[in-house]
Amino acid sequence: MSATLRPKKSIAGIRLAVVYVLLLALALFMMGPFLWLLSVSLMPGKNVFSNPPAILPTFIDFDNYVKVWQFMNFPKYIYNTVVITALGVIFNVILAALTAYPLATFRFKGRNLVFTLLIATMVIPSSTAMIVHYLTIQWLHLTGSFLGVVLPSAVSVFNIFLMRQTFLGIPSDVRDSGKMDGASEFRIWLQLVLPLVKPAIAVISLLEMMAFWNNFLWPIVVLDDPQKYPLAAALTFLNGQFSYNFGWIAAGTMISVIPIITVFLFTQRYYMEGIAGAVKG
Amino acid sequence: MKRWVWTESYTAWAFMAPGLALIAVFVFWPIIYGIPLSFTDYSVISETHYVGFDNFVTAFHDKNFLISLWNSLLYVIIVPIIQIISIMMAILVNGKIPGVKIFRTAYYIPVVTSMVAVALIWSWLLSNNGVVNFFLLKLGLINDQVAWLSTSSTALFVLMFITMWKGLGYYMMLYLAGLQGIPSDLYEAARVDGASRWRVIWSITIPLLRPHILFCTLISLMGAIRVFDEVYILTKGGPGTSTLTSSVYIFQKGLEQFNFGYASALGLIVSILVGVLSVLVFRFNQKGGVNPY
Repeated sequence: MSATLRPKKSIAGIRLAVVYVLLLALALFMMGPFLWLLSVSLMPGKNVFSNPPAILPTFIDFDNYVKVWQFMNFPKYIYNTVVITALGVIFNVILAALTAYPLATFRFKGRNLVFTLLIATMVIPSSTAMIVHYLTIQWLHLTGSFLGVVLPSAVSVFNIFLMRQTFLGIPSDVRDSGKMDGASEFRIWLQLVLPLVKPAIAVISLLEMMAFWNNFLWPIVVLDDPQKYPLAAALTFLNGQFSYNFGWIAAGTMISVIPIITVFLFTQRYYMEGIAGAVKG
Repeated sequence: MKRWVWTESYTAWAFMAPGLALIAVFVFWPIIYGIPLSFTDYSVISETHYVGFDNFVTAFHDKNFLISLWNSLLYVIIVPIIQIISIMMAILVNGKIPGVKIFRTAYYIPVVTSMVAVALIWSWLLSNNGVVNFFLLKLGLINDQVAWLSTSSTALFVLMFITMWKGLGYYMMLYLAGLQGIPSDLYEAARVDGASRWRVIWSITIPLLRPHILFCTLISLMGAIRVFDEVYILTKGGPGTSTLTSSVYIFQKGLEQFNFGYASALGLIVSILVGVLSVLVFRFNQKGGVNPY
């Protein structure tokens, strides 16, 4: 590219400038709303609907954060969210790794049937699923429990598929050598195979962490007591109760969003590779 | 030898048992159980009866359901728009220029954030005295404040915009993965032949992205028809029935009014519709509908 463009250096410069302008405009479009929310959260007592609307903070004050933190019992909601998210991630990683392993490495009757059935469910849409899930959770006496929140999405066909693709890439020597040493299949899986698929485990963990952290509807349906709500669900609650107190709501929303964005920023490399790999797979 | 094969299969099922059990209960069971449920009047308040096709007959006379179906179909407009914008975004961030990774990350942030937060921000930005109206008035694009989310004629389009805005980064990433899989010598060859930039995009990039276009179209299509979170948080189907989408209507019938039988029937109708649409997209793609050759 550079070889053909070198004689027309100024044109290349203009082109690059245009690209940067486009990139920045797009960044403002995608990030602007978040930056504005941050700005609102740092302006105590300001009305977001004042005329002209408050856009940039004239002074920075964490008062909203302190007040909403004291009012909302955030530690409780954060605890709920962390427990639900952790359970969800652990279930998904373990179950996907367990289920996908034989599908990738064992030879047994019914293997193709199981795999085809699993893939078929990815194509079928499931709008009614939530109603039946509710009945099932009720029947299992799990309404009102975190387990009831997590169980319907404790294992996903998508994750099994992702894991299977990864296991397929592991040479069969690994399993053979384990057998030679007399290790059980379970020990081979746990101690020899799992350490080799850490990137896939990371991807599934991240995907599920985001899904569970942001989930608000199913927890509201299953949990009877708002005190058990995770952050996203609690926010809808706060929003309804204090629709006039913009600074508080903005601060509360920032508190709920910051952890997941932070996790994303630190792990985006694996995350994006995983997303991309999922399509190629 | 035979015994060994048996043991291996036994171990395989032992490994898969917990996962498959959960999938049976939470993936297969809803599909299977939803069908008989839709032929009953099952609700939490009264005895359950078999009602034949009553639910389906009622559904097609239920004005609100038909409106909700229409709104869901209207929502599909965003599917091609998402593909066009996100492909352009992917091409933009595919270049090897300094700092481009920061931009990729910035565009992805809305994807990571919860719909609850996103909906809240946009509901403020789009309110009467909000920032959007302020800027549009300043630029002279509108003469009066518009209550974007509480005006029947604009509410659905605003929701579509929010859905699109939140999803663009995700599709951009998928297309970016596709772009990076295209061998660079194809571009070199085109350049040697003196092809223009747009010509290259049209004749090389787009055809080679076809599997990704199909995948993204299907995902965004299902997303558009199933759209729930943003509608439920922001408008609950209102004002009137102007943003009532089928998922929201099914949710209202099922989990708010506990009319499980009827809601299941509605769900079945929508599922069949989505199935048919997906097949059509597949066909369209196979027959070369998006093939620019």
